[in-house]
Order: sequence, then structure tokens, then C-alpha cells
Amino acid sequence: MTGKQLILDVLQGKTVERCPWVPYTGSQIANLKGYTAEEIFKSADKLLECLIEAEEQYTPDGMPPIFDLQVEAEILGCDLTWYKNTPPTVCTHPLSGSELVIPTQRLEKTDGRIPLNLDVMRRFKAAKPDVAMYGLVCGPFTLASHLRGTNIFMDMYDNEEGVKALVNYCADVVADLAKFYIEAGCDIIAAVDPLVSQISPDMFETFLSEPYSRLFASIKEQGVPSSFFVCGDATKNIEPMCKTAPGCIAIDENVDIVEAKKVTDKYGITMSGNLQLTITMLLGTQQDNQKEAIELMEKMGTHLFILAPGCDVPFDAPAANLIGVGQAVHNREAVKKALENYTAKDNLPEIDLPDYESLDHVLVEVVSIDSKTCAACGYMVKAANDAQAICGDVKVEVVERSIMYPENISFMNKIELKNVPSIVINGEIKHVSLIPTVEQLREEIVLASQK
Amino acid sequence: MSTVFEDISQNLQKGKMAEVKVFVQQAIDEGISPQDILDNGLMAGMDVIGQRFKNNDIFIPEVLIAARAMSVGTDMLRPLLVSANVKSKGTVVIGTIKDDLHDIGKNLVRMMMESKGLNVIDIGTDVAPEKYVEAAIENNADVIACSALLTTTMVHIKDVVASIANSSIAGKVKLMVGGAPINADFCESVGADYYTPDAPTAAAKALEICALAHA
Repeated sequence: MTGKQLILDVLQGKTVERCPWVPYTGSQIANLKGYTAEEIFKSADKLLECLIEAEEQYTPDGMPPIFDLQVEAEILGCDLTWYKNTPPTVCTHPLSGSELVIPTQRLEKTDGRIPLNLDVMRRFKAAKPDVAMYGLVCGPFTLASHLRGTNIFMDMYDNEEGVKALVNYCADVVADLAKFYIEAGCDIIAAVDPLVSQISPDMFETFLSEPYSRLFASIKEQGVPSSFFVCGDATKNIEPMCKTAPGCIAIDENVDIVEAKKVTDKYGITMSGNLQLTITMLLGTQQDNQKEAIELMEKMGTHLFILAPGCDVPFDAPAANLIGVGQAVHNREAVKKALENYTAKDNLPEIDLPDYESLDHVLVEVVSIDSKTCAACGYMVKAANDAQAICGDVKVEVVERSIMYPENISFMNKIELKNVPSIVINGEIKHVSLIPTVEQLREEIVLASQK
Repeated sequence: MSTVFEDISQNLQKGKMAEVKVFVQQAIDEGISPQDILDNGLMAGMDVIGQRFKNNDIFIPEVLIAARAMSVGTDMLRPLLVSANVKSKGTVVIGTIKDDLHDIGKNLVRMMMESKGLNVIDIGTDVAPEKYVEAAIENNADVIACSALLTTTMVHIKDVVASIANSSIAGKVKLMVGGAPINADFCESVGADYYTPDAPTAAAKALEICALAHA
């Protein structure tokens, strides 16, 4: 079964064979090809290149081609500040004056960065049709705050009708973009509204229930499921969010996901989340990420649940951590076994490293979970074997060291290797988590043979 | 006995500016000292707001309208407090870290600190490390408070730590940090002095630091 079908099945309330995995990759994927965040958000070719790489490395069932909540705001007159390592930020608010005047401008396919996004979506869809493509739009309340600024919070008391009109307008704008994204091949539309956690359930029902219900209904009418993303402690708004009838609710680590799922289950709505962004994904090891992913999957089951980060993956989150989560999803038992070996460090066997100095050949050691069950590991082994095949007269031995075996954990510890899959050439760690090109590997092997 | 403190507090909590103005004037007319009106009426009301916000019983809009009602009251009391020679409880310099334009949290912390009677110098958003130090020296601050909403900007906090360490106020000013991605471990790892998880706790901690500094 394809990842896309797995996700669509979950969203239809079916119990599935394994938990689907959706890394909310945004600017972080720029790292895979050495670009900045700004470069990938402004270049369709660079963004697509990173997306293809991310899909291969992170082994997702679904992913968003673009995670940038400023696309609509920029078109509607907000100035953006751009960064190397994060999506752009809104820095001016065109409706921040004392009088709140509701705009009438609607989005066109030719506006702002929409053509770039549609181009990337079409090309990514063609290249990776089995992956569920998430089209992310800015939630109407957050878009309203982009336009109005933080005055909007006071307006909720001082100008109730004005805020209602503005949020309704934003919902219409967002629906325009959702329609374009669906036409470009998106399988799911997610409205990302971080500010929802900052208002009470009463305020939610007053200002957001109606526009959100309308938005999700319009997406459903186009035959596409929807998702409602929120960041922060949105615990008290989970039920009002359910009442707007999205297909899925996505939360971060500020919400107790087990308790929240009891609420979403009542409404037959899928819950998505909530790998910890900072502690685990940004600052943790690959093993920390695998452990948390496995714990979450075991806690949440295979009905109405999608494993995902709490929000947009931080730019500096190591690729190895996302690769590790993908491994845990696709090879849960093997990863569990490997993690047991890690935690049993004191009982690991003593080993001697090969005598790398005296070898009469180049030794390529691929440290993996298990190439038979782990896709990324399989690619790594294949790269090593393919490189070996084009090395001509150079004598090369390729060995897979699966960490399913405790002696290979000892090997990792001894050479101070932290992540898998990795490639070690004559005792030197060359590639960690990211799969090299065959040509690059061949050059390294030839170079090693000349030492 | 007059219920004016309770009237001020209750109306402040509901964000009713006109009523707060009426009851503060009534308290002044009754001859109550401006410090008592501030402590037992306005600040008492904001303490309730802070606690309810911390408990997730109320949210940002409710805090903002309460803070606005409080400022109506403090504007009325300010000249009286000055003439009574009432001193500030301490000074805090606050701003969002370099490259971070997200200021909702920072503004809430500022309001909560002001409601505790602290003198708060707000140096805005996207603040360079040396600017915190310059503002702290200029205003003789007891505390520098930095907020970061993004995982990509929180790393700049260590530059503020370094700027303070290399300045004339090293050891004299305390650095407080907060914001969604920050936690106590991160605070310790970059060498900041205090982490607080929410605006009311930040205000209480700043007051505590200032009280120690002025003891």
C-alpha cells in the first residue's frame, strides 16, 4: 500500500496496518542540499531538489512541499523579512490603522509566490505520486492577525463585528488558495493557525467556528480531506475545533495527545502529532527521536492517528533525526531491538577494530539498522555496492554492520559513530545518515586506496 | 467598610476602563494613599488575571483588556505617586532576541511586570545583544529579559550572555529568558540566569530579583 493511501485510509477512519508518518518539513530540507531557507522559498528548482531528497531520506507517507504561512499575507500587502534559516516573517500590517477596513482583494493564481508553489506542487506530484501531498494554507485567524497586527486581540472586545468580517474575509482568501493547491494535485489541505491556542473556547466559537466550518466544508466539497493545525497549548479549543469538522487535528507537544485524542475520537477525527520539536528533534540524538516515535506509535495505535512533529521542523534539526523516525515507522521491531542494544551498553561485547593500517584493500563498512527492512539503510548499502562495481582495479570490500547485532553497537561506540545508516571507509567516518552519490563514494574509495 | 478595592479589582479583571476610572477616583477622594490603591486595587486585580492566565482559564485578549484598564488607573495615580516620592521596585529591560519579530509574549510579560510595580524599558523586537546591555547601563536596570519564539533565534541568547559578561554590568544584572522553544535546560546550557515558562511567573521572578538587588 502506498503512503498516500495509508493516510487517506486513516482519514476515512479505517484501522491501518501501521502508523503513517508525516514530517512537516519546511525550511529544514534546505540543509539537505546546502541551501538557505530563503533560497528554497524563492526558487522552484532548489525547493524541488530538496523535496525529492527529503522524500528519499525521511521515507514519509505524506509531506508538505511548502511550509510558509506568509504566502497569502505577502500578496495582501504585508512586508516580509527573510532569513537564512527560517521561513520569512511578517513585519508590517497593512490594516493596523485605527479604523478597521475590510479588504476586498481575492487571490489569483498569478499573485506573489503562488505560481512558484503551484509549479513545485505539480512537479513534486509527478515525481512522487505515492506520497500524500499536503497543501498548507495560513489559518484565517493568523492571516487576520498578519493583516491587522496584535490590535486584533483588543478588537475582539472593541469591534466584534469588524473582527468577524475580517476573519470571514481571510477564510475566503484561504479557500481561494486551497482551491489552487487542490488543482495542483494536493491530496490534503491543512489550515495552519498557531494563534488559535491564544484565545478562549468562547472566543473561538464567536469568531472562528463559522468561517472554519465553511472552509473545511468547501475543501470537502472538492473531494479532499482537511487538517486543522494549531501550535501551543490548545487543549481547551480541541473540542470547538472538532465541531468545525476537519478531517484531522494536528497538535504540538503542549497538548496531552492521549487526552486530546479521546475528544477527537468522539468526532471520528484523526489526531496528528506531536514529536517534541526542540528537546527531541532539534537537540536530541537519533536514538532519542526513535524512542519517542515508538512510544508515541505504541500509545496512539493505528486508528485515527498520524505520527508527525508538533509543527514545522526546526531548520537546524539534524537530518539523521528525521531519518531515524522514518526507520522507526517502517521497521519498528528492528529499531526497538537496536534501541535495546543501546540501552544495554554496559553488557555489550568487547571487540577489536580491524587493523585498518595494514589492510591490503579498501574496507567500506556500512553501519545500518538492517538493509533488508530499512529503506535508507538499503540505499546506503546499494550506494556502496554500486561504487565498488565501478572502482576498476581497486580492491574493495563492502561489509554491512547491522546494529541488530550487539557487536556492531560496540563497533559504533568504539569509532564514536552516533547515527545510522553511515559509511566508514578504512576506519574513517565518511557519511552519516545522508546517502552519498555513487561517484562521490568511488572517488573516496580510490583516494583511500592510494594512501 | 469601603468596597472600593474590590470594585477596582473586579472591573479591571473585566477590562472595564470607565468603571476603573470611577472607582480609582472614588478611592482618591476617600483619602486612600495612591500606593494602597495601586497595591490593593489595581495590582490585586492584575494578580488574579495573571493567575487565571497561568491556569489557562483566560487567554491573551482578556489579559490585554485588563492591562489596558490597569493603565487607565495607573495614569491617574502616577502624579500622586511621584509627589508622594514612591520609588519603583526595580527596573527591567525587555526585548525580543535578534531576528525575532514575535512580540505578543514579550508584551504580555512587560504588562505583567508593570502590574507588579516594576519600571519596564521595552526596547522592542529584533534586538541586537549589545543593545540590551546599552539599555541596561543607561537605565541602571536590575534585569534584562529576552524572549525568543523561534528555534532559529533562541541561539542568539548566548550572545546576550557574552555581551553582559564583557560589560561593566557583568555580575550586577540578571538575565531572564523565555519563549515557546526555551526551557530550563536550554537556559542553563547558554549560561542565562533564569528561565520562566509564562508571563505571570516571569513577572514574579523579576520582582524577586529586584527585591534582592534593592535589599
